Amino acid sequence: MKDPYLDTNPMDISDDDIFMAMKGINGYLDITPGDFKEIYRLAYRHALDRMTHSVTAGEVMTTDVVFVKKDDPLETVAETMARLGIAGVPVVEPGEKVIGIVSEKDFLFHMGGKDAKSFMEVAAQCLRSTGCVAITMRRQKAEDIMTSPAITVRKDTPVSEIATIFTTRKINRVPITDDGGRLLGIVAREDIVKYSFSQSLRCQ
Amino acid sequence: MKGTTKSPPVVRLSEIIWSWIGAFLGIAAVALINGYLLEKQDLLMIIGSFGASAVLIYGAIKSPLAQPRNLLGGHVLSALIGVTAYKMFYPHLWLAASVAVATAIAVMHATKTLHPPGGATALIAVIGSQKIHSLGYLYAVIPAGLGAAIMLFVALLVNNIPKNRRYPEFWL
Repeated sequence: MKDPYLDTNPMDISDDDIFMAMKGINGYLDITPGDFKEIYRLAYRHALDRMTHSVTAGEVMTTDVVFVKKDDPLETVAETMARLGIAGVPVVEPGEKVIGIVSEKDFLFHMGGKDAKSFMEVAAQCLRSTGCVAITMRRQKAEDIMTSPAITVRKDTPVSEIATIFTTRKINRVPITDDGGRLLGIVAREDIVKYSFSQSLRCQ
Repeated sequence: MKGTTKSPPVVRLSEIIWSWIGAFLGIAAVALINGYLLEKQDLLMIIGSFGASAVLIYGAIKSPLAQPRNLLGGHVLSALIGVTAYKMFYPHLWLAASVAVATAIAVMHATKTLHPPGGATALIAVIGSQKIHSLGYLYAVIPAGLGAAIMLFVALLVNNIPKNRRYPEFWL
């Protein structure tokens, strides 16, 4: 069964590597190079599985999370995102309970109309019409354009599960909440890439 | 049916030499000792299985099939099964032979004692001379078990002499 995340094997071994290794061991080895390669790859996957499943969201998340309140005006939201260089921000209601996420995609969607997929499309539209679509958005708040309900996970969710969520739900970040839905931290795609890279370096 | 991989690499000369020495001493020991316990014609048959065992325990000492558990367990269990098959299916020797070998393999698998010469030991229990048949279940001890033990003793000595060799890989 192919797992796109786990099958990225940075140390792919060749038949020749194995043959040379076997030559280095004294005596007749009762296994074919092909079978040995199979065992190596399976063992490597097991090791990777074990490590990624043992690491939880709580261990890789950023705890110093930037968030916005549901009735923050969009101007503030955009400014915050721009200033801190982030592409998405959780939206909370009183009590720090996560109710949604605002991301660049939401801004694009509301500014460019139905099919806006890139900033340039929005820019083109802006230049084409007499007034920018965004002007009506000035009166709106975070809760008006946020994606809700937000996909969230618990602190003890394994990192591998989060990676799968990113792939299957096509999102790039996920807030970590407690049982009451309150914001504890956030895990983004970059955090996972950074983590698995440092792990594969350790493997060697 | 197309092959997907290649043969493991050829062994070094030292390995070839030590395999020869071990097999020579092991078979000599069995032949000499067994000579006192069985008549000459029966001796020939049991050395058949042990020739095969020698390939493994002196020539492929890292193989799981060559380990003491497999050598002893394989020969003794197969001998017992062979004798049983002979007693059950006589005079239908074709049936006794096939049941003996097939069952020996199955039981060796189940007990993690798979040892190719065990198949020969089981077969010999069926097709063996009258002398072997008259041993009944004693066949499993002499010559099967005893012969295997003698060869094991030689293997434990000879295989561990060179620095780059060791035997066994495991006992249980």
